[in-house]
Order: sequence, then structure tokens, then C-alpha cells
Amino acid sequence: MTDREDRLRSLLDKVRAKRPGERETHAAEAVDRIRAGSGTVAATAEATPLSEPSTSPEIESPTRYSSQPPRVERPLSVEPRAQSAQPPSRPAVAVSPSRRPAPIRPQSVAPTGQPVVYATDQPEFPRPKTFGELLELTLALRPR
Amino acid sequence: MHDGRFDPGGFYEFNLTGGMIRTRNGERVVVLSEDVLSSLVAAAARDGDLTPLRRLGELLGEQVLASLDRPASVLSAEAVLGHVSAVTALFGWGRLAFERWGSALVVALRDKPELDEDELGAAALLGGMFSEISQRQVSCVPTGDSKFIMVDFEVAETVWGWFKDGADLPAIVGMLETKRAS
Repeated sequence: MTDREDRLRSLLDKVRAKRPGERETHAAEAVDRIRAGSGTVAATAEATPLSEPSTSPEIESPTRYSSQPPRVERPLSVEPRAQSAQPPSRPAVAVSPSRRPAPIRPQSVAPTGQPVVYATDQPEFPRPKTFGELLELTLALRPR
Repeated sequence: MHDGRFDPGGFYEFNLTGGMIRTRNGERVVVLSEDVLSSLVAAAARDGDLTPLRRLGELLGEQVLASLDRPASVLSAEAVLGHVSAVTALFGWGRLAFERWGSALVVALRDKPELDEDELGAAALLGGMFSEISQRQVSCVPTGDSKFIMVDFEVAETVWGWFKDGADLPAIVGMLETKRAS
């Protein structure tokens, strides 16, 4: 057993040697000192009992949510749909009624769902005439 | 018919017991010598009635149509020529070919039977055949050298008159121009 343990054991024995009533007397004296010390502390403890939760009426009151701002109760038709449909990254452009939108450049617009090869005319090669076409030509001949 | 080509196999059915010859379409035919046919055609030409020869041409045209899988008007000239020349040869009427002279379509019939001097018998036969093939009124007018220009029946007499007056095929073609029907 070390010296440190010997000291701790002796201190413990001293504490055990004291009577329990003596410890209660010390505790009662401490309570009395607190009660006699500061009146503000005593008043606060009595006005706010711990059993009642300190709730805020602003949060729990349902009336707050029922009274919406007037803008919510306005009819939706008043809101300009065009502005609300525009993407936020695209600024609204004020266009006068007499001014037409800028034309779309052909190279910037490809026909959707249609291959470009069909958008251009096929190169024409001489096609041999059918028998019916040759017959039409010769039957259309008339004297000059 | 194989691959759009004319199949001459089995074109004739010889019934020796019954003494008949039929085409594969059931048409009864008679074999005649060139001399006999020539005299018959010459007599018809003198009388001005070549209807039997035109009718014979229509029968040939029916044989051509029966061998085609599509209307002749939508086929190429080469495809139609293959069938027409085959049927013409099977009936012993010579070698048939097409020529184009400007807008005019010309039929050349080589090695045909010698029927009449003006070749009106062959002209009637060709007119009947191509009228049946095209379902139009077609006239084939002789222009010499076994060639026949295909024209509308309304101008056939005029073209024939030019030829009788000495105009050859290039001159006849030069006297024609294309006019669309209004």
C-alpha cells in the first residue's frame, strides 16, 4: 500500500467518524444563508414554477397561421403568368407591341426529330423515263 | 416470269391428239406459212380493212400484259421491250426494238414476214399490240426501213401522208412538235 493510499484512507475515516446530524446541521445552515441572502433569487423562484413549461404564445397559437397576409388571398389570375413562367436566369425584356421578336438564325435551330439530311433536297440524277412517260411524249406529238 | 424477265418456257401447248395449239393463256393459235399470210394481208390492205391484223396485235398485247407483274406504264422501256420482243418473236413476227427520235418513240421490226409493200399489215399489228399494252389508242405509222413511228391515232393519217410524199423519218420527226392536250 502506498503513501497516497494511506492518506486517502485516513481522510475517509475522519469523515466517517463525524455524526450524520452534524452533516444535516451544516446543510440547514447553508439553506438559511441562501434564504436570508438575496430577495431577487427567492422571488424569481416563486413566480416561475418549474412544473409549468415556459412556452411562447407566438409559436403555439394557431391563429397566427390563419391570418395570412393579404397577398395570399388575392386571386391567382391577377398574377401575370408570363412573368412567373419565365426562368429566373432569363431577364424579362420589355418589347413594344409594334416591334417583332428578333428572327432565329437558321444555324442555331435544327429541326427537332428530323434528320438534317432530309431537310435538304436530294441531289437529282437523270432518271431513265418509264415506258409510260415515253409513250406520253410520243402521243403528244402534233403537226407543227 | 422470272425476275421480271419474260419466260418463253411452256409458252405453247401442243395437243397432238386434239390437233390444237394453245398458248399458256389458253389462246388457240394457227400456224400459217408466210406466203399464205402475205396474200391474206395484201387482200385486206387493198380492201382497206386491216382489222384482223390489228386484232392479232391485240392478242399479242394480251400475252405481253399477262407476263408483266405491273402495268407497263410504270416499267422501264427496257423491261417492256424485253416482253414485247419475246412475244413478237414467239409468234414469228421478227425482231422488235425501240428507238427514240427526239420525243418520238419509234418501233423497229426487223426480219418480219414480207406481207405488203407499204408495210401496213405490220403497222396494224403493232398498233393493236401497243394499244393493248398501253390501254391507249396508238397508231404505228410506217416510215421506211422497217421502222414505225408511234403517234396518236388522230395524227396518223397526216404522218402517213408525209411519208407517202417522200419524207423520211428525220423529216417527219422535224414536222412534229409536242403539244399538251388542253
